[in-house]
Amino acid sequence: MDSSEMTAAPLPVLEPFKGVKRVPLEEYYTSGHRTCQGCESALVMKLMVKAAGPRTVVLGSTGCMYVANTTYYSTPWVVPWMHTQLGSAGSAAVGTAAGYKALMRKGKIKREPINVISFCGDGGGVDMGLSAISAALQHTEYNHLILLYDNESYANTDIQSSGSTPYGAYTSFSPAGKAKRILHRRWKKNVAAMLAAGHSECRYVGTVCASYAVDFMNRIRRALSIGGPTFIHSFDPCPKGWDCDPMMSHELGELAVLTGIFPLFEVLDHRLALYGKSKQIAEGRQKRLPVRDYLLKQGRFAHFTDDDIDYFQAKVDQMWTRWLVPGVLPFQADILGDKPPA
Amino acid sequence: MGRTVSVEIVYRGIFQKTLAKNISRGVVLAARRGGKVGIAFGRYGDSPERNGVPAKNFAIVAPDQDELELSMAQYEPAETDVTIAVDDTLCKGVESWAWYGLQPINQKVRPDGVLVVTSTLPADAIVEFCHRKPFPYRLAVIPAIPSFSGLWVYKNDHTDVRVLGTLAKVCPELVSLEAMLAAIKEEWKDDLKVTSARRAYEQTEVRVVRPDEGNPEVPYTFTLPGWTAMREGVTVEGMPLGAPMRVGGEVGGYRPARNPYFKKFSTRTMRPVVDFEKCVKCTLCWLQCPDGCFDVTPEQTYDLNADACCGCGVCAAVCPVDDCITMVNEAAFTDHRSQWERYKADPAAYAAWVRGMLAGQSERSHGFRYRGQYQEQIAKLRAGAGGEGGGE
Repeated sequence: MDSSEMTAAPLPVLEPFKGVKRVPLEEYYTSGHRTCQGCESALVMKLMVKAAGPRTVVLGSTGCMYVANTTYYSTPWVVPWMHTQLGSAGSAAVGTAAGYKALMRKGKIKREPINVISFCGDGGGVDMGLSAISAALQHTEYNHLILLYDNESYANTDIQSSGSTPYGAYTSFSPAGKAKRILHRRWKKNVAAMLAAGHSECRYVGTVCASYAVDFMNRIRRALSIGGPTFIHSFDPCPKGWDCDPMMSHELGELAVLTGIFPLFEVLDHRLALYGKSKQIAEGRQKRLPVRDYLLKQGRFAHFTDDDIDYFQAKVDQMWTRWLVPGVLPFQADILGDKPPA
Repeated sequence: MGRTVSVEIVYRGIFQKTLAKNISRGVVLAARRGGKVGIAFGRYGDSPERNGVPAKNFAIVAPDQDELELSMAQYEPAETDVTIAVDDTLCKGVESWAWYGLQPINQKVRPDGVLVVTSTLPADAIVEFCHRKPFPYRLAVIPAIPSFSGLWVYKNDHTDVRVLGTLAKVCPELVSLEAMLAAIKEEWKDDLKVTSARRAYEQTEVRVVRPDEGNPEVPYTFTLPGWTAMREGVTVEGMPLGAPMRVGGEVGGYRPARNPYFKKFSTRTMRPVVDFEKCVKCTLCWLQCPDGCFDVTPEQTYDLNADACCGCGVCAAVCPVDDCITMVNEAAFTDHRSQWERYKADPAAYAAWVRGMLAGQSERSHGFRYRGQYQEQIAKLRAGAGGEGGGE
């Protein structure tokens, strides 16, 4: 056994769940959290630790999943959980993973696989904590997963726009007015692809949506068992900020994927692949639905005119037809128009 | 000059945030027209608001600035002249955060104070929900489907001004009808809203609730530990792991442990009814529930825990079988009994109960589903109630 094997923290073996009937019954994030009705991010927490299992430590930066899950000195967490500051999901992940590694090396705790998961919202991950996440993904000697639960606004503080808010959405910072109908003119950041492209030693980056629960959990299991720092971007419908009936959370997650707005992909050992419905769309086996089907079901887009919807559709079409990798990498290399001979 | 009058508005977080703001603001604007001063505010502890979790707004009206400032030193009034519940299911009690316990809707109503409720139910049915008070108080019911919308698109079904018109009737020392109508006219510049308020004033009927009427249960309470009783580093004890269900002689499935300090059911306005005969055991309701409120039975069916369910309706939305899970108005239920245990005890009686529940559905919705929905709902209200929610 060489010295690196002696010191490396052991990795768990987490086979994918083969079908919904094989999903374990145990809950490590249980009832009694003060989240909204139909909160998809609460579902993400539940599925995340269900996939990870009991030997898991969860770290959460400030956001809904901190505040709502610690209402007045009580918690729904079964596994150990710790709060960290808004921009420090990455730092907390590295520090905790390094701490466990050191304690195991010194023989202070048993050598065993312990999953370290650090989560952040889009305010914490797409805006404030992006640099710390980037740094964490460079520290390949520590095993951890950073999960971004993206509800497309600062939802906890009543819906301010973030770098992840979609074009044109009504937020506290971008109300639709008479003089200016569209105030939020930024296009949503493509965080997972950005992190995958920029961190060549990170072995796993993926996007998930909890509407596809088994796919979701299997991506978590893959990220936790591959070793080194990993990153997953989860797309979470938010009834509060999106202004929709809470019972539509699941449907809106599906629609975001089926309209092509949020592509499901993973970068596993630097090999990029679309999966699930996004793969079927790319292969022409699933019709890409019009974005109208998704936009008109949310109050945050109620001010959209047909022109706005057309613009949104054109941007999504461009993602799927012009980008180097459909829906993932926005480069439009000249080589695309200049196909080499077969 | 009169005395300080306190108005409390209990509402469903986010869904009725704009509605509650319109009411508390309307009270203060009308009071100013009547030569008084007032302040409208939301309760700090409710922030950040969550969809459905009960929240409160207050309007305090005083004869002069000194009196008003005296009452502003309080976090919330100890007792109210008027408590308004803009959703009738709130009358079963409210739990706004952990350790809060279940607080009766009429908790703050003072002797001879008034509880105003918007509901399609008769006053006698509302009384049954409300916990008993040791003294008589008054109840006024505004006949209306509780008004739900969201953070950005407001459903302008005139519930706000109908409540304001009712206030002028039930609490004349707060504000006169003339001042109220003038304030509404100035704030909304809409004659139809003035008409709706006046009609509500004319139609309001008030009933006295006696101490021997109402829900006799004593609601659960907690004693919040002081800082000296908290654990080192203010760590919070985690939840224990759950265990397989034990029902009669059967052992199997799984029942998670649940946070005892925040049950969340008072967030619910609709409750899922499960028809176990139709269940195909697909797992989706259990797997997709954000609140983990389904117990897995030894038969691998899924039994709703009525203490934990907040009524989001995701289970009914993902269920692949028609009419297997149906959302039913919470007002139709009187207890939290396990539906599965009822089914096991007597399948035929349970089937009859499910049929009855589905047949007696009254209309409810939880906000925005598609563009144009609110206009359709308001048009239906107008047609059905002879000008209600829009005047003539």
